[in-house]
Amino acid sequence: MHDLRLSTRLVRAAGILAVLTWSLAPILLVVTSAFKEPRQIFEVPFQAFFIPTAENFETLVRLNPEFFSGLRNSVIVTVFTVLLTLCASFGAGYVYARTKETAYKVSAVFMLVVRMLPPIVVTVPLFPVINWLELNDSHLILILLYAAFYVSLGAWMMRSFVAQIPIELEEAAAIDGATLWQILRLVVLPLAAQGLVALTLFVVVFAWNEYVFAMIFTMNNARTAPVVIGEMLSTAEGVQWGAVFAAATIQLVPVVLIVLALQRFLIAGLTAGAVKS
Amino acid sequence: MIAQIARRIDIRPLRRDASMPDRQRPPQTRHGFYVLLLLPALLLLVGLLATPAVYIVWLSFQKSTLGQEPAFVGLANYAALIADSGFWRAVWNTFAVVNVIVYGELAFGLAVAVLLRRVEMGRKLIIAAIIAPYAITESSGIVMWRFMMEPEVGIASRLLDGVGIVLPWDSEPWAGLALACLIAIWQHMPFTFLILYAALLSVPKETQEAAAIDGATAWQRFWRVEVPIIMPAILVAILFRYIFAIRLFGEVWLLTRGGPARLTEVLAIYLYRETFQYRNFGLASAAGVCMLLLSLLIALPYLYRMAKEVRRDA
Repeated sequence: MHDLRLSTRLVRAAGILAVLTWSLAPILLVVTSAFKEPRQIFEVPFQAFFIPTAENFETLVRLNPEFFSGLRNSVIVTVFTVLLTLCASFGAGYVYARTKETAYKVSAVFMLVVRMLPPIVVTVPLFPVINWLELNDSHLILILLYAAFYVSLGAWMMRSFVAQIPIELEEAAAIDGATLWQILRLVVLPLAAQGLVALTLFVVVFAWNEYVFAMIFTMNNARTAPVVIGEMLSTAEGVQWGAVFAAATIQLVPVVLIVLALQRFLIAGLTAGAVKS
Repeated sequence: MIAQIARRIDIRPLRRDASMPDRQRPPQTRHGFYVLLLLPALLLLVGLLATPAVYIVWLSFQKSTLGQEPAFVGLANYAALIADSGFWRAVWNTFAVVNVIVYGELAFGLAVAVLLRRVEMGRKLIIAAIIAPYAITESSGIVMWRFMMEPEVGIASRLLDGVGIVLPWDSEPWAGLALACLIAIWQHMPFTFLILYAALLSVPKETQEAAAIDGATAWQRFWRVEVPIIMPAILVAILFRYIFAIRLFGEVWLLTRGGPARLTEVLAIYLYRETFQYRNFGLASAAGVCMLLLSLLIALPYLYRMAKEVRRDA
């Protein structure tokens, strides 16, 4: 409690510095190297100060135009995954928060069980079916799969957020003659907004970064940015580090910014969601 | 906020349902509404996850490949799986890697949570920095670590060389897996940390003070008082990380492709190769069923607890 001694404080400060280095150094190294000239990247001794250049970004545009269509695909898939997951989760979460009948409880537990399945396992039976439906290499299949894997977390998160809303508000609205849809839209939805933001954060991070499904189910048309970056790492003629750094920087900046801006919702989501202790 | 909502309802009088004035609808009509609300979520889950999960069990008893009628072969796929040394290699790799990741993260995350809980100055910024790796895609994470660990030229590999540690991840299987563990811990420690940190902050100060008055040292207070209190959170963190670490794919795939000579394959990569490279659907399905059962077995305590919670309230 009262360990204000200088030595304790110094040890703690050193510890925090070490943790920050561990977490941030890889990110900062890559982001700063993206602005170095290619020959400076592996230079010894390490160059902490340098004149920034856009050369790597130009190389990326020239050599890997598919990265930018990958980014576009990532945006499309992420936006629609968020929309679908929010709608489906909000509906299910509301029902779970407001019902007591066994059938609903069974389906709530069913959602949890399904969430425990390893994603790679469902690809084996899905692959032929998706081929047959000609959904391979489409945005739709990624959106559906991502939503399917996050709707259970979403439903349970929304359940705990909706449960905190006093039911009297809904009853008052019902007495005023509001229909069920109106109650849901005008009373419950605004009050559950914090939960929706928290869920959005989880889904954005997942959908923007997902690799395995995107690698298996897309080829050209719907290939997302993480898959393109992965491919840039495995070229036969050696890795173009400068272009890879530029791509990684572009890909990580938006999602890191979103997470930093909304981090308190991340914690709210973790504590209110399925991992409530 | 509640007043705001109430005002909103007052200002905008809602349309009244002519057939049922001023009265709540009879509750039995609500079931249709509830089912409608549940439908999208259930369709997604049943159509895309539950049905394939059941189908793979059926598939594991068939001899099948792409473009060929499946034929029932009983347990032949499982026999082939058990006889495949590659499968056992993948099982062993997964077992080792998952345990290193889960307990490495637990120890590290707990240490960071303890370190941070008395820090006031700049706490939000520090937490933001710790969370940052969590927001990064596996493939970018691999880019970063491969850059730092590039043999002889990477910054981290040169530093490690300086203290006499060599991690030849591109040639030695153990080193490849070790680096994959390191990256996984780097990326997922924020999850474990946040859960433990929230739990630590919610430990009442009084218990600490009482123990201090009774003469307990800081070490004793931590192990005998706080750790038992946050035990449920620790178990949740372990459980969730087990379930998610078993899926490990990208870290290993992008580092070593499971090589050299399939020696660094984990279960997810074994499954991927057998399915998409060798088109060996029967064997892959049998391996998939094993993964499925393993995941559910680990999840069982959690599912049991949640089922109990659902029965109690809601």
